[in-house]
Amino acid sequence: MYNWRRIRDNLFKIIVLSLAVLALTPLFHLIVVVFINGLSTLLEAGWNFFVDLPPTPLSQRLGGVAPSLIGTFLLTLTSLPVTIALGLFTAILVTEFPKSRVSLVVDTIAKSLASVPTIAVSMVVFSLAITIVNSVPGIRVYLSPAGSALLGSFALIIVALPFSYTYFSTFLRSVPFTYKEAAYSLGMSRWAVIMRVVIQVVKKSMLVAVLMTMARIMGETAALLFTAGRYRSGVPTSILGPVDAIPLLIFDYILSPFEVWHRAAWGATLILLLFYMLIFFIVKIGVKEVKLT
Amino acid sequence: MIKSKRDKLFFLSLTPFAISLLSILLLLVYVLFLKSIESLSAYGLTLFTKTIWDPENGVYGILGPILGTIVTSLISITTSLVFSIPLTITIAEYLKGYLKKIVSSIVEFMGGLPTIVYAVWASRYLVPLLKSYVMDPLHASLPFIPLFSCRPITGYSTFAAGIALGISTVPYVTSIVLEAYENIPVIYREACYGVGSTKYEAIKILLSLSRPAIVAAVILGFARSLGETTIVVVTIGNSMTLTPCLFAPSYTVSALVASQFANAFLYRYAESVLYVSILITTLFSILLSLYASKLIIEWRSRIVV
Repeated sequence: MYNWRRIRDNLFKIIVLSLAVLALTPLFHLIVVVFINGLSTLLEAGWNFFVDLPPTPLSQRLGGVAPSLIGTFLLTLTSLPVTIALGLFTAILVTEFPKSRVSLVVDTIAKSLASVPTIAVSMVVFSLAITIVNSVPGIRVYLSPAGSALLGSFALIIVALPFSYTYFSTFLRSVPFTYKEAAYSLGMSRWAVIMRVVIQVVKKSMLVAVLMTMARIMGETAALLFTAGRYRSGVPTSILGPVDAIPLLIFDYILSPFEVWHRAAWGATLILLLFYMLIFFIVKIGVKEVKLT
Repeated sequence: MIKSKRDKLFFLSLTPFAISLLSILLLLVYVLFLKSIESLSAYGLTLFTKTIWDPENGVYGILGPILGTIVTSLISITTSLVFSIPLTITIAEYLKGYLKKIVSSIVEFMGGLPTIVYAVWASRYLVPLLKSYVMDPLHASLPFIPLFSCRPITGYSTFAAGIALGISTVPYVTSIVLEAYENIPVIYREACYGVGSTKYEAIKILLSLSRPAIVAAVILGFARSLGETTIVVVTIGNSMTLTPCLFAPSYTVSALVASQFANAFLYRYAESVLYVSILITTLFSILLSLYASKLIIEWRSRIVV
């Protein structure tokens, strides 16, 4: 009797641990193959991979991904501040009035927004642009329905907003009430308490929220499918014109039948992975969390 | 709650942000509805009973993609559940100190990894691997089961898409189950060990205590798989067919949209049909995730004393 229970206990442990190892194997395999394939591309193309235009399907040279890199940079630059501002202030509202009905509604809306398929966001933003261009004469100069960094950013904001809101509200909620109590007893106003006490206490977590939102924006593909414009024949110069993004380039090239495009896609994937790793390590190692009691 | 005049002003100054969130959601759903009406009124329910994409003759039926979406998501959530529960138990019960921190960081890393990276890996490595080690043997040994009845030709299929999606949702499901599992008050655990149970018996009891949270995690993972695009498009093979076989190429709603939307404006109803399909997916996904988060909140208020 006793023995059987012990055997069962050990058997269970072995099964669970091996399944857990199996669950993590894909990640390691993925990292290894992305590095192997990506490095072979990057080493062959060299520095040009960052400054050249993408290759034509039958070309011998690998070319580069400069338009997509700059496009991703532009898209992130335009959508991140808006996302952060909207997410942060909504989170402040909800954490300051936790019992109000508005907070409950906002929480529900954020959850719903997070579960809207990102490709649906892309479709809606696209058709809104078409509608606006058709109904407002002269706006075509600013709002190209063929896609632009502006439209892409708009889609990215909608996609990333619920995530940044969730991050911010989780961190703001973690501030113990005693801190606020102390500040109020000194006669500080509500804004002052938030700006000088609450946000200061979780300053580093705020940075985490910003970085994770950024990672989300940089890696988003489906939201840009019909909004960004996939401009790869040159470097984008304006946010009103069409742009490309690293994830979009990878997506198109990996679906194509051309070997040279596959290789370019691997290189771009490695760049994206390295960017993401960098952000993640800053978050994990650089930002040491202060324990609040 | 709101007492002084200044408090009220403060509250009001923040409401625009809440309203912007609400209006974005309403706008999304409204546009989806508006665009769907055209084809819904033209085709009615026949849209959901056929599997055909023939814009030249104006004949559409999206039964295939809708079923494909559901089947893919079911395979996906099964896969991720098989790995998530052991991963949760490992992190919560068997690992301590630094190792525990490292493993949960790895899970977090997987969770935030851009889906396009999974997509590239899945389409180049996972699908061929699945074809030669899972699909071919299954077809060879059990061809009489309808699910495995067709020969996997390229490997790009509903099955491959489901597994690939499942692997990418493992960290998401794990994080939900883990949070619930670790939130079970310690008294339950103490009670288990107090009556002399082994670790296995204790885990069994604790898992059964967190069952509603696990159900919620399953629903949330399912809802997330419904709308996922990138991974599915590169693994499912993109073909408008309706077959019980899992090894044949197929479509999900999002894969259909991703591959047809760019040219859909050329035909009268094509765009609208795509909007109908994505509208259904969106509504389904929203309702499921709201229901699941309600489950979690209820469970937490009951179990945490």
